[in-house]
Amino acid sequence: MSSPALRGPAWVTVRQYRRTLWAALALVLLALAAVAALRIWDARYPDTALENGGWNPDPDNRAFGLLQWLLQYLGMGLALLPIAVAALVAGPMVAREYESGTYSLSLTQSVSPAAWLRSKLLLTAAGASLTALAGMGVFALGWSRTGEVGYFLWAEPYVYIPTGAVLFAYLLAALAVGALIGQLVRRTLPAMAATALVMGLLTLVLGAYRWSLMPVETVTGPAGPTLWAPGNGLVMDTGLLTSSGARFDESRCWEQINNAPGIDTDPQAWGKAQAQCFADHGVVSQYADYHPESHFWPTQLIESGILLALAALALYAAFRVLRARHP
Amino acid sequence: MTAHTEGIALEADLLGKKYGGRRGGWALRECDFALPTGRICALVGPNGAGKSTLLALAAGLTRPTEGTLARPARDDLAYVAQSKPLHPRLTVADTLRMGRELNPGRWDGAAALRVVEGGGFSSDTLVHHLSGGQRTRVALALALGKRAGLLLLDEPMADLDPLARHQLMGLLMADAAERGTTVVMSSHILTELEGSCDHLLLLAGGRIRLAGTVDDLLAAHALLRGPVGDLAPHTVVDSRTTGRQLTALVRREGPVEGPWETTEPSLEELLLAHLRTPEGAPA
Repeated sequence: MSSPALRGPAWVTVRQYRRTLWAALALVLLALAAVAALRIWDARYPDTALENGGWNPDPDNRAFGLLQWLLQYLGMGLALLPIAVAALVAGPMVAREYESGTYSLSLTQSVSPAAWLRSKLLLTAAGASLTALAGMGVFALGWSRTGEVGYFLWAEPYVYIPTGAVLFAYLLAALAVGALIGQLVRRTLPAMAATALVMGLLTLVLGAYRWSLMPVETVTGPAGPTLWAPGNGLVMDTGLLTSSGARFDESRCWEQINNAPGIDTDPQAWGKAQAQCFADHGVVSQYADYHPESHFWPTQLIESGILLALAALALYAAFRVLRARHP
Repeated sequence: MTAHTEGIALEADLLGKKYGGRRGGWALRECDFALPTGRICALVGPNGAGKSTLLALAAGLTRPTEGTLARPARDDLAYVAQSKPLHPRLTVADTLRMGRELNPGRWDGAAALRVVEGGGFSSDTLVHHLSGGQRTRVALALALGKRAGLLLLDEPMADLDPLARHQLMGLLMADAAERGTTVVMSSHILTELEGSCDHLLLLAGGRIRLAGTVDDLLAAHALLRGPVGDLAPHTVVDSRTTGRQLTALVRREGPVEGPWETTEPSLEELLLAHLRTPEGAPA
């Protein structure tokens, strides 16, 4: 993949990584072909209408299940793309130049060290973003079919990341972290491993705290029947409420239930003791804390903001290290 | 830091470089020298003397720990590292195209091709598949194609067979003479330097032991043969006795008087004498 419009260090980088670019293109086309084929196959089976106005795929429709399965892996692949990009930048692009000594070739041409690193990062940003965009398009092609069947799936990492802006923020953070660690470690494989570890941890930590970024909304209802969060909401916490509206800690009943007469012999005793305890404490209703689907974009933007701030810090540090090393 | 003194290509002032943080050793210490423009300078010294460190500092790849080194701007110097690093997955043609892309406005493709020609490989060969000597050719081609005023070559001829060495050395010298290029070349092969270099920097233990034009340095020394005796006031660099016969290389203080047969040493004799003495005679 060589464009005559590229000049200077950009030409060199594309020339060196043309195989990687071809591989990315091939993977995107393969995914597109697979998703498109499954959608065509799936279209041959009419859906079964449900009484509540919904629908279910035809029981003979194997394509639908395969498409769901494929999208899960495609989504995971896209969510993990930033880790791969970080390892590529840190290892082959930066650390290998130091390990093999080619930095002494690259940095003694008429191009400044900053221009050298900048060109690598800009091109990788462009290549990775285009790959991600194409991958997101392929994912959306499948998701527009399967997405309507699942519940809460919009919040699953393998859907949340490849359907929002946050994937691009992860990619930028990956570039910056890769550029920094590649220069600090300066050996290809250790640099790749260290960077993948850092980006993996970052992905895990943000995944764990993602739904603490926005305040939850609460729905209440009478105690007893299952309380559903409205609008395909992601339920974070459920519990009971007393008549004063205070949240009731159910563990306060444990002792009373365990000490109830006949608790070990009468199968009904447990339910009775619990109902008695709830009545004693005035428990009348229940609540559910949840994130409505409308929290998707605000959460995406806050998470992207955190990632972009990290990217800016790492990028600043990477160029500072470069300047400190090479006059 | 750019060279600001007129006519000086490279000037070190109490230059020092330490590696490996606090516990690391000094690779270079208190180096002072000035290399005039247009000279072909041999950088000589035992292994670990600091030759590669000095060249890397001159190339701007590392910063000095102390002192200063005035040198040309990045685009007016070319550097070939000892390991002749090249991108292995590029072809020879791509590597030369890289030279053009990274040195816009100054790249001389014809000069680069002259170096690559005769290497016995086609331009669509991957660098990865080249022999050591062929890699040296490509690395030198990149350096010469850049048309820099200062050429820094770290052991440039080490991987070449005698024929290729002769051809490339001739090409390099003719090119440098024609363009007035300053060349600093480190080497172990003393005969390679004789006849092509007119300036000398001898490093040992990270310090400069000898610096100056070859003619001045040769004239300042004398090779004595004769009976064993007191050589004062001359400074003995290296001496050996066989029976009653003394052979000594001295740094002369005025004309040598005495029973000795005096000749001007060759460059190789001068360098060997200085390299043999670990601490060296005071310069």
